[in-house]
Amino acid sequence: MINAVLVFNNSGQPRLTKFYTQLDTSMQQRLISEIFTLVSHRPASACNFLPLPPLLASTTPAPTPNQPHNDTPSLITYRHYATLYFILISTSTESPLALLDLIQVFVESLDRLFENVCELDLIFNFETLHAALGEMLVGGVVVETSLEKVVSGVRGQGKVAKRRETPGIGVGVEGLGAIGRGWR
Amino acid sequence: MDLKATALLKLIYLEMFGHDMSWASFHVLEVMSCPKYPQKRVGYLAAVQSFRPDTEVLMLATNLLKKDISSPLPPTMSLPLITLPHIITSSLALSLLSDLLPRLSHSNPNIRKKTVAALYRLALVYPDTLRAAWPKIKDILMDEEEDSSVTAAVVNIVCELGWRRPRDFLALAPRLFDLLVDSGNNWMAIKIIKLFATLTPLEPRLIKKLLPPLTNLIRTTPAMSLLYECINGVIQGGILEGTEGAREGEEIASLCVGKLRGMIVVEGDPNLKYVALLAFNRIVASHPHLVSMHQDVIMGCIDDPDISIRLQALDLSAGMVNSDNLVTVVERIMQQLRNAPLSTKTADDGRRNTLGVEPAADSDGEDAEETLRPTAELQDDSPALPAEYRVTIIRQILEMCSNDTYANVVDFEWYIDTLVQLVKLVPFAIQSSSEFQGGDGRNQSQEANVGSAIGWELRNVAVRVSTIRSEAVRAANSLLAISKSDNSVLSSGGQGVLAFAAWVVGEYSDSSALSYAAMDSLIHPKAHSLPALVICAYLQAIPKALVSAVSHELSDWSSERKTMVSLLVARIIHFLEPLTTHPNLEVQERSVEFLELMRVTSQAITSHSVENDDGPLLLTRAIPQLFTGFELNPVAPAAQRKVPLPDNLDLDAPINKDLAGLLQRADQDFSLDTEAAEFESFYNQRPTQKAISSPAFDKLPAFEPEPEPSSYQQTEFSLSDADVLLRRRNERRERNKDDPFYIGNDDVSSGTSTPFHDILRSTNGEDVDVDSIPIMNLDLGDQGLVTDSSSMDMRKQKRKRPRKVHIAKDENIDNEDSGMDQNVGVTNPQQRAKDRAKKSLLQVDSSGLSSFSLNSSETTVGQLDIERQEAQDTEMAKALAEVERLRLEMQRASERIQATDGTPAEGTLVKKKKKKKLKDPVGESMAQDEETSHIEPQQGPQDAEGTPVVKKKKKKRKPAISNPEDEKAIQGN
Repeated sequence: MINAVLVFNNSGQPRLTKFYTQLDTSMQQRLISEIFTLVSHRPASACNFLPLPPLLASTTPAPTPNQPHNDTPSLITYRHYATLYFILISTSTESPLALLDLIQVFVESLDRLFENVCELDLIFNFETLHAALGEMLVGGVVVETSLEKVVSGVRGQGKVAKRRETPGIGVGVEGLGAIGRGWR
Repeated sequence: MDLKATALLKLIYLEMFGHDMSWASFHVLEVMSCPKYPQKRVGYLAAVQSFRPDTEVLMLATNLLKKDISSPLPPTMSLPLITLPHIITSSLALSLLSDLLPRLSHSNPNIRKKTVAALYRLALVYPDTLRAAWPKIKDILMDEEEDSSVTAAVVNIVCELGWRRPRDFLALAPRLFDLLVDSGNNWMAIKIIKLFATLTPLEPRLIKKLLPPLTNLIRTTPAMSLLYECINGVIQGGILEGTEGAREGEEIASLCVGKLRGMIVVEGDPNLKYVALLAFNRIVASHPHLVSMHQDVIMGCIDDPDISIRLQALDLSAGMVNSDNLVTVVERIMQQLRNAPLSTKTADDGRRNTLGVEPAADSDGEDAEETLRPTAELQDDSPALPAEYRVTIIRQILEMCSNDTYANVVDFEWYIDTLVQLVKLVPFAIQSSSEFQGGDGRNQSQEANVGSAIGWELRNVAVRVSTIRSEAVRAANSLLAISKSDNSVLSSGGQGVLAFAAWVVGEYSDSSALSYAAMDSLIHPKAHSLPALVICAYLQAIPKALVSAVSHELSDWSSERKTMVSLLVARIIHFLEPLTTHPNLEVQERSVEFLELMRVTSQAITSHSVENDDGPLLLTRAIPQLFTGFELNPVAPAAQRKVPLPDNLDLDAPINKDLAGLLQRADQDFSLDTEAAEFESFYNQRPTQKAISSPAFDKLPAFEPEPEPSSYQQTEFSLSDADVLLRRRNERRERNKDDPFYIGNDDVSSGTSTPFHDILRSTNGEDVDVDSIPIMNLDLGDQGLVTDSSSMDMRKQKRKRPRKVHIAKDENIDNEDSGMDQNVGVTNPQQRAKDRAKKSLLQVDSSGLSSFSLNSSETTVGQLDIERQEAQDTEMAKALAEVERLRLEMQRASERIQATDGTPAEGTLVKKKKKKKLKDPVGESMAQDEETSHIEPQQGPQDAEGTPVVKKKKKKRKPAISNPEDEKAIQGN
């Protein structure tokens, strides 16, 4: 299952945090900053899988041949879109490449909802962000992977607020969704 | 209310930045109960983000949740469904279960799939959920008319549940198989394959069934993720093993490996490279030959700019080495290490200025200066990652080579050469010398100490492979020489190796030319600045080297030779003298001992007449006998325990009954330093054998004015009374020498009495001999335990002689006392197991869970009720472990809070309660913590009443910052 979904920008400011276990606020912040330090030091050419941050690594038992999976998070997948990092923390029951696709679907659905999504959209409409995530993941379990259904699910909850036209501050992630390719 | 919702929304945003909003939980509840959907949504979101296990208002929300779950509007209904997994507790689950179950048959598929997922989380805290919900979930899975995304969601949770109790899901295999073949949904296929990978070990017939579709998928699918998961499933499901020997088995194995190779080579995508290497790593355990066929690709990955890919490739190469390709693999990695300054630059390009570029990083391994300087510069301004990576590489190389008692190493000369080169490549500043000052080597962290790891290998080879010993000595000698000529080359990082090199040189140097060279490096003045631990090893090696330098040409004792030897001894004395005031007690003590010995020796030399053919007896006979005796052999770590405890040894008996008085006297008479040195010398100098057979208090008379009383004790030990007396006096003198108050007389007396004493000792022969050896022996065992006890174990088990080189095995006491031995042998494994269990318990708290669920799934009987029962147990154990883990994390967090920002007392109070509350579900299920669960309900309302006062104020402040600009300003801070 997926243990946490994080979105933060290039300077480490969180834009979305969703933990599927109840964690203390300060612990959340620590985890975010640890992952940010790891992620921000990686060159663009590196692969999208992170080593475990110290906070998580200390409690991870090695999988034994008899017991291939366990409950401790062991996989951190991230993707970098323009100014934003999307992070998934998951256990070994998830497939790494499929998680990359999941991020892709998430970003594409945001792109649909906001029409050329940018970081400001996420700041001002972070409720929509949560709603979209809620359509895809419930309690850390993936419930929907189809772009259309996610989008219609969020739209069904009510009108998605459009970004106010404020030319000049558009940190512009033009065609955010067009970046990257899927493995589906 | 609208205003309140907006304020809450902003509060959620601030919470994301780490601002505590637990005080607002009552308001969250208020907004949740709003009739209007948008506001309700904000409330639920706030509950998800801010409710913690200690949030008391949650129990007030039960009715609200019940109402919303059965709301007629799908959007409203899904709000509690996605919120529940975050806030669920077992009591809440109990009361909400009956409302949730009907939702499984709701007309809207959206609701159905969310309900399934929510039920899964419910089951984690309240296992009884499954008993009621499983039949319906199963129906959904079996229903072919069901909406595909609902089926996918069910498959997802079945996969999650599957690895915990695979047996329960075997019955679903046919349906899952159909889904895999027919569905065409890659997401679902991936999950199903993952599930099958856990099922196949239980049902071997599945393998035959699965093989064709999997092969088909691997061949045809365009989706990389599915391809990878297929291969992964083939590996993890044991399909490779299951089809061993059969034609299809070979086929699929080579197909998988071929595809993986394709993923690395053709695609050029770092992610694919990484996962392909991961898969290779899993195959390598069972099929090393298959993997080593693709050595070229893997070696290519070692040079990849991405560190994580490199580490994977490195792991892989360690797994696939055999005696044929070991040399090439190691050479390749070494090559990278030598060129490291360049490659680490490319790894994080642009983040650093071009300070470290000029290094002539050619592959010149001989000149360590050239290759090492640049790295030092690099590390100054780049993160420590490269250094860590270097350490990992070196450790991997050592592990590769030493695996299975050097089963893969054919050419030991090459290995020693490699070790020497590795020393030069050890990164700087990996360990501070303060770690060395720590003293006995036990507290050196293993990670930091690559230098000593290399040294340990060097010594290990020297001890185990007798044919290569001279080579090892030469290598050690060259290392010492390097440290002499340029101290900076081996600064900090490489210094760990010196202690071992010194030991090897001292113990095994057998040609006098080498010994002279070794002496030169050992008593070089630069050695004074080395870490204390290294100096200790040096000190011990010096007399040994002296002996081997002198004793090989006994026959002609000419005047020329006499001057040479006396000059050497004089140099040693000169070297030792400053060390007697060394801050480290161990160094001080050893140097004082040997200084005395050397002074005596030099007197013996001067007083010895040239006419005699032999050299002075002291030099030719007495001192050598201190160091020669039994051959030193590796001792298994467990052997020590098998040494029988002597009957007359009572470890609990006080050494001295008048301890208090003794201490008082010590305060008056001696400084603290000498007191400590006294103890140190007692434990280190005394032969271990004697320490066992004689109660330690025979040392005490040294404090008393008259030495008489203990001599009765001493007569047991085949030593003459005179000898005992002399030794006693000797020791007292040595002790007094450290004491500033006794400086005056020691030189005079030592000159006269010790030669006699030493000659006496030498006549006692064997006994004395044994005295000195165990000191080194103990050292060996100690280090072995510290650095690599597990591999020692491996070595012990493996008794194999590769090729012509004989590799000495660990010695164990087997023949001594068979009856006793067996007794100890029986208890030994138990003890070891206990130790291991203790260790893992400390390491990970959730390990208990894994072993638990494993057991239960093994013992599962086919009957449904028992299965359910065990399922509950498993879930309960899981939940308990989860709670325990969370509790620990909270504890850590609260400690951190207190340490960092000094939250007011209010904050800490909340933390305390949190801990209690967390135990609450445990208390209910285990009936252990009755007191805490009783207290809770009373405290809850109080708190809820108390908080609003604070909240109102805060709420008033909130609207003030309601426009976006202000909010941004806050968030920018």
